[in-house]
Amino acid sequence: MFAYTIRRLVQMIPLLFAASVVIFALLALQPGDPLDELRQNNPNLTAEQLEQLRKAYGLDQPIYVRYFKWLGRALQGDLGQSRSYGVKAAEFVFGERLPRTLLLSGLAFAVALLIAIPVGIFSAVRQYSTADYAITFMTFIGFSTPVFFLGIILLYLFTVVVPERTGLPALPTGLPSLFWSDVTTGSISFFGFIGTWASHLILPVMTLALIQMASWTRYMRASLLEVLNQDFIRTARAKGLAERKVLYKHALRNALIPIVTLVGLAVPGVLGGAIITENIFSYPGMGRTIFESLLAKDYNVAMAALAMLAVLTALFNLIADLLYAVVDPRIRYS
Amino acid sequence: MKYLSKLATVWIVGAGLAFAGPQDNTLVVGASQEPTVLGGDFLSIISNQSIKAEVENYLLVPMIGIDADSKNFPIMVTELPTLANRRLRSVDIGGGKRRLEMDLTLRSDLKWSDGTPITTDDIAFFNEVGNAKGMPVLNPDVWERRKLIVKDKLNFTVTFEPAFYTDTIGAPIGYAPAHVMRPEWQKVLAQTQNLDAKRDAARLSEIYRSFFQAFGSNRAINQGKMVWSGPFRVTRWAAGSTIELTRNPNFWITPPGGADKYVQRVTYRIIQNTNSLLVAILGGGVDATSRVSITLDQARSPQLTSRAPGRYDIWSVPGAVWEHIDVNKFTNVERVKELGLDDKRTRQALLHALDRDSWVKAFFEGFEPVSHTWVAPVNPLFNDKVRRYEYNPDKAKALLAEMGWRPGPDGILQRTVGGKTVRFEIEFVTTSGNAIRERTQQLFAEQWKRIGVAVKINNAPSAVVFDAKYLNRAVEGTWTGMTMFAWVSSLAELGNLFKYKDLNTGATFIPTAENNFTGQNIGGWRNDEYDRLAAQAVVEFDPEKRAELFARMQVIWAEELPALPLRFRADPLITKKGLVNYLGATYSGGNNYPNWLPWAIGWTARGAQKLFDQAKYATAISTK
Repeated sequence: MFAYTIRRLVQMIPLLFAASVVIFALLALQPGDPLDELRQNNPNLTAEQLEQLRKAYGLDQPIYVRYFKWLGRALQGDLGQSRSYGVKAAEFVFGERLPRTLLLSGLAFAVALLIAIPVGIFSAVRQYSTADYAITFMTFIGFSTPVFFLGIILLYLFTVVVPERTGLPALPTGLPSLFWSDVTTGSISFFGFIGTWASHLILPVMTLALIQMASWTRYMRASLLEVLNQDFIRTARAKGLAERKVLYKHALRNALIPIVTLVGLAVPGVLGGAIITENIFSYPGMGRTIFESLLAKDYNVAMAALAMLAVLTALFNLIADLLYAVVDPRIRYS
Repeated sequence: MKYLSKLATVWIVGAGLAFAGPQDNTLVVGASQEPTVLGGDFLSIISNQSIKAEVENYLLVPMIGIDADSKNFPIMVTELPTLANRRLRSVDIGGGKRRLEMDLTLRSDLKWSDGTPITTDDIAFFNEVGNAKGMPVLNPDVWERRKLIVKDKLNFTVTFEPAFYTDTIGAPIGYAPAHVMRPEWQKVLAQTQNLDAKRDAARLSEIYRSFFQAFGSNRAINQGKMVWSGPFRVTRWAAGSTIELTRNPNFWITPPGGADKYVQRVTYRIIQNTNSLLVAILGGGVDATSRVSITLDQARSPQLTSRAPGRYDIWSVPGAVWEHIDVNKFTNVERVKELGLDDKRTRQALLHALDRDSWVKAFFEGFEPVSHTWVAPVNPLFNDKVRRYEYNPDKAKALLAEMGWRPGPDGILQRTVGGKTVRFEIEFVTTSGNAIRERTQQLFAEQWKRIGVAVKINNAPSAVVFDAKYLNRAVEGTWTGMTMFAWVSSLAELGNLFKYKDLNTGATFIPTAENNFTGQNIGGWRNDEYDRLAAQAVVEFDPEKRAELFARMQVIWAEELPALPLRFRADPLITKKGLVNYLGATYSGGNNYPNWLPWAIGWTARGAQKLFDQAKYATAISTK
């Protein structure tokens, strides 16, 4: 297992190198450059001045030179500066945006898992009951509702309709205007701080969790039903084991195997942020960072964020494979 | 029940912003963009966003502002330089060129937010930084033409050579807090002394950006590294969420009745998704919209207009963004020659075939007016008396018939050019994904079909269309017919969009290989009379004579019709009832900024006096 892990990690190096080449090339080959806007808005720029600016931004060099320069610096831990924000790209992506996404998507992930798995189990155990039909109906609605629609409807409900009808203030969105220093200086209590953050996170977490929950509930139900119909479950029941034991000890562990893969592969997506949800709820996380950096042609930020996603995808693929072995004793790596 | 009350408490704490407004004499502005830096980036090297300029109107006032009537007004100087008071002098330096000299005196009561006096030292510092070797400034031509002469702590002269009338619009120069930023700048100078402006351009740019960022980033601002000169200072900037500004007690202008009767705290709420921003307005969490906020369509939505009576005023402020169709006129492009696009009759026929009046009525309820030239109607240089092209398909057909076009078997016009039968099918490009442009394109294609002109739509994402390798290469036939997009015009109109050559500077504006494809005259129109008039107009410092010259330029333009003028866009402005002096006009603050008089923004309920009437500068959108 150890040797296998090391081998997979070593294999990741050429993979990530290739991924970085592809990402860099795609970014560099997209139409336009950061000077387009300037060129359009300032008719007085002469060709010479424009050339000087191109040099200042390093845009005058061929793509491969720019790539190797980037790679050389990246290997030393320097991912360059953000053109839009003027700060270090790594600091901006990993220090500012990623933790926010971890908080939002992590919470949504946890809420979705905590609800989807028990509901999926319940639905499978009570197959064809009214409750099962109701859950199935709800999950199909969840499946087919686009996230932008659900988000804006929830926003409208909790910031306009509910306050208008009940007089309650609107649920806030975006980030709270609070710093940790507010707690240390005593201008807000610890619980007030957490409460304010929580109130800001309710809507985006709910939106993300509802969408994710729908699919995981269906997977859980289908997976458990498949296991419940297998011979060894019949045997377990035949030898007189309590239904509870049959379900949780024999069936569930097997049914969770495909779920582990699903969840493992979903993690990089979660860290990549939820662009639409982040946009609707004004939450500056990774999704918005990637989108905005592409639009603004802020190459260093886009490279840092996308390269991180490439690393995480490769890493979580490996983790999912290793977890396979943990949950399924039939699988062994050598 | 207890749980519910706890939840409600959290809800109320979190939604504190919803209570802003006249109750606590504050203002919450809803914006769809966030500045990436503020203050320290005083040359806009890191960012030149509109939202940055808007927020900075509260924080770093210009020496000379631009009011709602597009006129200069003094903020930091004792009086405006004019030809009459001899503080403004225009000197003939031969060859049709002029030098402009402006004498200015700072008010003696100016202070930074930390109490340090603002003096000419701060202007000299601004000038020194901007002139540093390899500084990637946005408008290098201004820096090349401008000189600063400091006389004493309060008096200074700014000269421009060669000068253009646009040098007299707004402040001729900026300033920056030397007492705060100079020590760091000295380190930058030491770091860059051995670098070469050309060879080490990228390295220099990086060092400079780090310097500006050290005083402009979110973190630097929250650490209090920057000082402010405006009526407000930043107290908190929660990145991606809110920017809170509070009154600066050191500001020198007192609004009528005393500063305490006006807004004491301004909070920018950043909500990038405009639908979400609309919902925030509906929910009452926003008192007014920023220059960069929802669209005019959203401002006219029934959800808003039905909730507005008694709560909000909704305005449509005329804008200076000009939507038009540029036409390829480069005769070396075969398709241009075949279709006769270089002949003004073809372009006139194409415009006569469009029912633009019905279009603006149907699409924009008339809030966005049809344009007849490239100059915005609110610009003092606008000429109303130019040739207009009414909707007249018969006239269009007659003009095309004059050029030998006859209906073909499929109803589309055709003619013989050089022994070859040519069908009138014209390429029509616009930015895909822009719903209004795409809908407009469909409508126009249908109207052109009625006169026998077929349209071949060839849209691309804006990144492709605005790529200089595409838009600026009509001479190479990258686009062979028409491209529909917008130019952002300003009060400082130089006529560059349609110049072949600037006779004062020698710069050319038709993008070709000779000038490395720079310039905005992308369709390649050349009219020597227009160029001559433009060269005179931009060095004419008498506003009336200048307007006359521009009037003639517009007459020529409308007759020759190098592009098809469509409309001027309008911007929405939403304000809660009772908010005064938060007023948008096309050129207020230079670019339709509603906070061009930031110290006088207030609520009537708190004793603020209304100084201006928005109805003079915008059209009310009816609420029901």
